[in-house]
Amino acid sequence: MDHTAAPRADVRCPVCEAPVLTGDAFCEACGHPLGAPSCTSCGAPAVDADGYCERCGLRQPTGRDHTELALDNGTAGVTDKGLRRSRNEDAMALLSTDTQTIVVVCDGVGSSPRADEASAVAVETASAALARGLSAEEAFNLAGRAVGKLATSVDDAPACTYVSAVVEGGRITLGWAGDSRAYWLSPGVRPAAKDPTVDTQPVDADPTAGIRPADPAATVDADPAAATPPVDADSTAATRPVGTLPPAGTRPAETGPPPGVRLTGIQLTEDDAAPTGEITAWLGADYGDVRPHVRVLEPEHPGLLLVCSDGLWRYLDGYTFPPTGSPRDMARAMLRHALDSGGQDNVTIVLIPLGDAHG
Amino acid sequence: MGDQPTFTLHIDQNKYLPIDGREVHAILTINSTGEVTTTTAAAPAEAAEVIIIDTSGSMSGGKIREARQAAATAVQTLRDGVHFAVIAGTDRAKVVYPRGPELVRANAATRAEAQRAIGQLSAGGGTSIGQWLQLAAQMLSAHPNAIRHAILMTDGQNNERADVFAAALARCEGAFVCDSLGVGDDWVPAELRKIAEALLGTFDFVRNQGDLADFFRKLTQTSMSKTVAELVMRVWVPQTATLKWVKQVSPTLLDLTGKRTDVNPLTGDYPTGSWGTEDREYHLCVEVPPGQIGSEIRAGWVKLLRPDTQEVFASGNVLAQWTDDLAQSTRINGKVAHYTGQAELHELIQDGLSARAAGDVDKATARLAKAKQLAVDSGREDTARLLDKVVEVDPASGTARLRRNVDKADAIELDTGSVRTSRLRKDGEGS
Repeated sequence: MDHTAAPRADVRCPVCEAPVLTGDAFCEACGHPLGAPSCTSCGAPAVDADGYCERCGLRQPTGRDHTELALDNGTAGVTDKGLRRSRNEDAMALLSTDTQTIVVVCDGVGSSPRADEASAVAVETASAALARGLSAEEAFNLAGRAVGKLATSVDDAPACTYVSAVVEGGRITLGWAGDSRAYWLSPGVRPAAKDPTVDTQPVDADPTAGIRPADPAATVDADPAAATPPVDADSTAATRPVGTLPPAGTRPAETGPPPGVRLTGIQLTEDDAAPTGEITAWLGADYGDVRPHVRVLEPEHPGLLLVCSDGLWRYLDGYTFPPTGSPRDMARAMLRHALDSGGQDNVTIVLIPLGDAHG
Repeated sequence: MGDQPTFTLHIDQNKYLPIDGREVHAILTINSTGEVTTTTAAAPAEAAEVIIIDTSGSMSGGKIREARQAAATAVQTLRDGVHFAVIAGTDRAKVVYPRGPELVRANAATRAEAQRAIGQLSAGGGTSIGQWLQLAAQMLSAHPNAIRHAILMTDGQNNERADVFAAALARCEGAFVCDSLGVGDDWVPAELRKIAEALLGTFDFVRNQGDLADFFRKLTQTSMSKTVAELVMRVWVPQTATLKWVKQVSPTLLDLTGKRTDVNPLTGDYPTGSWGTEDREYHLCVEVPPGQIGSEIRAGWVKLLRPDTQEVFASGNVLAQWTDDLAQSTRINGKVAHYTGQAELHELIQDGLSARAAGDVDKATARLAKAKQLAVDSGREDTARLLDKVVEVDPASGTARLRRNVDKADAIELDTGSVRTSRLRKDGEGS
């Protein structure tokens, strides 16, 4: 009966509510086009070409308000404007080459002008540079230069944070500045830091490939003790890896925890931030010579690399990561958690599966 | 330029609402170039004009001479081809020209004939304005696609029962636009205001009867300059919202809220009459349901369109976006503030004059003194000057008192003029 020509009581124009025929292009009563996209708020199939719902009026999320991206290898990302900001100043880029998965997340600095442009140009520049084979530092510097060009003066300097992740053959290379973060999510297993002082399996043919940036002050990696992130109050609070986390600087347990143990998250990056929360490093013309932190890690067990902005991690205290599901479903669940927790800021979440678990 | 006038619609508003904000205000500025090429099929709409002259007994003497002169001037101002007629009004309505019940086209011969007929007019009888208007409506109904307009002048009080007059106005609504003029100090502004409101026209006070011909010429010229018949403002609001009001706020205040014709449950049409080269401004107020911080809605969708062809000449969006940033949500748009003030000034004057007529001195003094201040503040110097003739405010103490022996003409002028609004300077935003 779906294709009957008779008006059906349950098919009504979303605007004037007159009965309409299945398959009609327009409502006979009011002329409203039928079969328009559905509103994300009221559900009426009445979103017009300008992006407004013709029943409840809501401007539909467009462009950067809510974007989801996915790669063939399962890597998935979502960025959302959140509930309290008028626009999304986060940006993300996901790319894959023959051998690499490349992710860059930037968070526009709210107090800077046109911060949305800063983050957009940074992720685009850096991801393209990384895909060309440039190092984490080189990509960071190119992104920094591109963001700097947006400024008309030091008083009009768009700015953003930065975190990049390149995954190649089981090795993770991170580069960052500011307070956007990377976490390792696994059933209680942390990745080994790719540092000769702690890792017994050096695979890095080029020791300058990012472990030790030239300026010791710019990196925590200069201190071998810090090569494995300390479980400070913050990361403990954020990830609660207690119980399955080996002591800092040691190898993880030879055998992993039994299946079914919930995912724990370990923070792999340290924020450039004052105790009060203000970030102390960023990309932008008003920050002269910013250098990235660079860290190389090799997880020994399957897991997920999470790259995110503070719009997510501010709500990770006490959070139980979704134990199963595709990276895309998990990213959506984590976004839902951030929004349910208040959605105070823009939220960006990218999950890269490593090993078998989520591949 | 195409063969239709160019319309632009500009919306001034502060779209940001506080978390509990429910009312969205916007000022719509509609500009019409009025330019229409005359070489195409869509040449300017035809025009139909009826001139209505009060020939009641009170008009005898100098006034009927001035009225004859004014009507003759109006006829002289009609451009060739315009359909027209002249009506003389007493307790009945009578077609003075032409002889039959149908309008005739203006040309040198018909204009001369009409002027000769007008020269024969004499005063005598009562005043039944509703009847005059109904005769005009009947004659104009033969030209449904024309720009239909009437000019009415009177010097006295309407002698019809209020309900009879109201019924007559209701029958004329939408049939034509009527501008009216009051002469002398025995007419009642409230009656002509009713005509203006029902028939989307203006009304004015001809204080010096010698100026009557000038007023007629100007009204006729304005009418002749209209190039587009009857446009409507079509307003959509969300299903869960309420359109609280639609008012013309410039050049005069005219509440259109009650003139809505439903298009569908979310959309209604409001008449705007005919258009020439002009600017008009409208104030919309929409009550919206509570919203989420950060989300934006279209709180109103406005289109200016021709009801017969559904052709849209201009459109715009009234928006609402909720924010917890007080700096954004507490900012009041300059134009919204200005016209809110102008509407308040009008109400204060009307309330004050009514209280004064009813003998409520305290209320009249308070309202009119406040109006005086508002008039000064918003650059309405003429209005402030007239208020000064009615109420006296001690500049030092601020104490106000009503003046005695107010010239009746001053009170009428104040009453009549209160619907006119001043414009905000282009740079006046936020002032």
